[in-house]
Amino acid sequence: MYRDKKVGLVGIIITIAILILVVILSNRENNISFFENIINKCVMPIQNGLTYAKNKISGNTSFFTDVNNLKSENEKLKQKNSELEQLLRELEKIKTENQTLKEYMNLTEKYGEYKTIPGYIINKDISNYSKTVTINIGTKDGVQKNMTVIADQGLVGHVVSVTENSSKVEIIVDTASSVSATMSTSQDSIICKGTLDAASTLKAMYIPVDAKVVQGDTVETSGIGGIYPKGIRIGTVKKVENTKNITDRYAIIETAVDFNKLNSVLVITTE
Amino acid sequence: MKKFIINLSLIVIAIFVYILQENFFSWFTISGVMPNLFIIYVLFIGLFAKKTMGTVYGIFIGLIIDLLVETKIGVNAFLLGAVGFLAATFDKNFSKDSRITIMLMVLGTTIAYETLSYFVNFAIYNFNIEIISFMRTLAIEAIYNVILTIIFYSAIKKLGYYIEEEYGKSKILTKYF
Repeated sequence: MYRDKKVGLVGIIITIAILILVVILSNRENNISFFENIINKCVMPIQNGLTYAKNKISGNTSFFTDVNNLKSENEKLKQKNSELEQLLRELEKIKTENQTLKEYMNLTEKYGEYKTIPGYIINKDISNYSKTVTINIGTKDGVQKNMTVIADQGLVGHVVSVTENSSKVEIIVDTASSVSATMSTSQDSIICKGTLDAASTLKAMYIPVDAKVVQGDTVETSGIGGIYPKGIRIGTVKKVENTKNITDRYAIIETAVDFNKLNSVLVITTE
Repeated sequence: MKKFIINLSLIVIAIFVYILQENFFSWFTISGVMPNLFIIYVLFIGLFAKKTMGTVYGIFIGLIIDLLVETKIGVNAFLLGAVGFLAATFDKNFSKDSRITIMLMVLGTTIAYETLSYFVNFAIYNFNIEIISFMRTLAIEAIYNVILTIIFYSAIKKLGYYIEEEYGKSKILTKYF
């Protein structure tokens, strides 16, 4: 009985360890560099040892006299390092505060032409298949259904339902979302749709046959469709996917807004 | 009194599950895919508590999710209610003592729940169906749910049998898988 319990516990610990490993590895952008790092860490001490031996053989005799000096120097450097780390932590804190304040300032300055209501995100979607957020402002603050929601960097989405104190916003990367847009250089119209497996990219479809799609080109709302006002930045063209049939070609648009870090938003009430 | 404490504990657990799903598992993902803790939660209530309890809890929790995060009310309420009902059916036919059986139940229920949810939402919002992306997400989510079941199985089973005893369910009639 005791042995069974022990085996069960070990099983659970192993499962948790595997899960953590899978989560870390699956979310890394460059898995190869991770493995390279591990191998480097294993090989480097051996490599250093071999180099040291090689230097010794080739007549480096100052080693023993240098050891004591190096030890005291190492101590001093360690102390200096901890002081610097402390300073860095304080700096990071100030930087974060500064960033939040700047964000609010930028939001109101940038979209001064619109009448807006500021709000922040209180709830994010808990499903893998839809992308909506809840914000802390509702009808009491003047928010209504279908109003446009923006952030400092660009378009966020539109209000789909509203209560007295909160509103639900369908963000542009949701699979049900489609935004009419124009490319800044060619002024060609496209439709940007959300996809299931991307949290920060859109699929630009219905690209006109004669349109020239340039990588890095800015994409903005076209104002067609009745929800989003014209000229709000959506993102930039990341990649163009050419298909056999030119009418089916599409582009991948990287959204201007990083939805993982999104906290404060503005709801446009009138133009 | 004991039944009241059990129900209170289940509500507290539901709140904890919500916080965990909303905050922790929104970043602790496998390739950006979260598990669905609500399916596991309702499934276990349905398996261990009274026949109707799983369905009632499923509808109740689904309704709260619908109200809090969804744009259309009813989809999660209906589907989680169905999970609770399905769990009661599982309880009649399979043994809860087998970890493998429980894992298969979680796997099957997750696949059925998310597939139905996806197609019901497709009927409502008329979005583009992306079969490959959907299957990839679903596979990861189902495996993630199974892994969590392995981790929490012992703790859930202990609490589950305590609830089962209190609600006076007979274990003799259970057909073993």
